[in-house]
Amino acid sequence: MESLDPRVNRMKIGGFDGELHKEAMDQLGTYEVFLIPKDGKPLESVGPVHASDAEMAFVFAKEAFSRRFECVAMAVCPTASIFPSPVSEADISAYDLVTIPAETEGENRQYEVFHMNKRGKFHKHVGSVEAIGDIDALYKGKDEYGVDKPKNVWVVPTGDFHFNAEEDSDLWATLPEKKYRDAIFYKAGEKIQRYKESVNS
Amino acid sequence: MYGGGNVFEPMKVKELIDEDPVLLKEFEARIDRGEKIEPTDWMPELYRKQLIRMIEQHAHSEIIGALPEGTWITRAPGFKRKMALMAKVQDEVGHAQLLYSAAETLGKPREKMIDDLINGKSKYSNIFNYPAFTWADSCFISWLVDAGAIVNQLANAKGSYGPYVRALDRICKEESFHLKYGHDCVATLAAGSKQQREWMQDAINRWWAPMMMFFGPSDKISVHSEVLIKWKVKMASNDAMREQYLDMYVPKILELGFTIPDPNLRRNEEEGKWEITEPDWDEFKRVINGDGPCNKERLAVRRVAEERGRWVREAINRKSENYIVPLA
Ligand SMILES: [Fe+2]
Ligand SMILES: [Fe+2]
Ligand SMILES: [Fe+2]
Repeated sequence: MESLDPRVNRMKIGGFDGELHKEAMDQLGTYEVFLIPKDGKPLESVGPVHASDAEMAFVFAKEAFSRRFECVAMAVCPTASIFPSPVSEADISAYDLVTIPAETEGENRQYEVFHMNKRGKFHKHVGSVEAIGDIDALYKGKDEYGVDKPKNVWVVPTGDFHFNAEEDSDLWATLPEKKYRDAIFYKAGEKIQRYKESVNS
Repeated sequence: MYGGGNVFEPMKVKELIDEDPVLLKEFEARIDRGEKIEPTDWMPELYRKQLIRMIEQHAHSEIIGALPEGTWITRAPGFKRKMALMAKVQDEVGHAQLLYSAAETLGKPREKMIDDLINGKSKYSNIFNYPAFTWADSCFISWLVDAGAIVNQLANAKGSYGPYVRALDRICKEESFHLKYGHDCVATLAAGSKQQREWMQDAINRWWAPMMMFFGPSDKISVHSEVLIKWKVKMASNDAMREQYLDMYVPKILELGFTIPDPNLRRNEEEGKWEITEPDWDEFKRVINGDGPCNKERLAVRRVAEERGRWVREAINRKSENYIVPLA
């Protein structure tokens, strides 16, 4: 294949013959990503990544979600670690849709609680609770934070998060050297002016 | 979605009359109230399938769209342009990642979407199947193709499906850099030498016709497309998006002293709309269906990435871990 792209020619990328199928499960597991955009703001969900393990998920998450905008801390957890409540709407609290009884035995451990306040919005961290299981954590969350009437709740065992150590926070201080990724870096106006002057002169 | 426009081809789904009437009523009432639909909600099959197709094609368009511009990274004029173009192309690939995840919440695994792409079963935007001959072509893409994508994405960002809306929220914020960067590149050529202006004019001449096709043919109002408008899957007609694009960008192109290669282009002030030469819809169909100038090369590049990356995926993948659909 003769290409305009010198790389395609160099790599001798061939034609398109026959079928090429991915094997079943030729993909990585999913992790949900959370970040704090600015000091003083809560941790908020930003979306998922596919990765082989938590550390890789963190690396991908850093590329995908903190590459362009401000970020001061980031955490990832396996999607499977998140226990979601049902989704409610309008004035109904998602907590009120949880009807199954809580676990009766288990070790107490810490959970982080996230609320989605309106459908279509991202989940935000509201605090943590001690609970003996996922459902128990939802009930504990209701006692503690139920007044917010969230439309969806996620509870996640605190120990399932992978996050950056405090002393590594300069990881995020890369924005000032990458101004060329900001829209305001570009001032086409001066060039347009220059063109117009050249026509008039 | 073929880049900007939507071609709502008929597809095989459960007829609405066969859907549970009570659930369907609740679903529609929710959308009427302006609430978003979340992945665990009940939804009619037509809604699910149409959204999967649309979001998946959008994702493929981002990934394939990175290729013609990517061609120019190694030959970008100067270090600053190289860094900026690299960042832009990285953004586009990142957009694909966000969109694949949004489509996954509807039940189609990512591996299946990639499989359909590399085997030519999925469609994507017509425009990325044209070659980028010069640096000016890549400037056209950065400014004027992205501008078209933005018209479409801003419309879709008001749609009804939560995960798609959340992905688009982020994507639209990143696009503002692409637009400004692209405009700056074109303005630089406009204010440059005679040769530079010629390069840019030639690029406009090459890309204008595919750009007019980008938004897709006039929508025929079918029963399906009416219902998709009601469900806020389809947010603007192809013609409305094309009009909006012409309103916004024709003056900006002319301002730089370039011409637009369409003798029939004019704004009909009485009717308040643009007149253009009817795009060649046969060409559009050919390109969409795999027979454009660069379709083979685009897919070949993706297939090579797939084949040569296999050992990496095998080395790090833990198949014992069950795949779980992303939550939101
Ligand atoms: Fe994009
Ligand atoms: Fe783009
Ligand atoms: Fe873009």
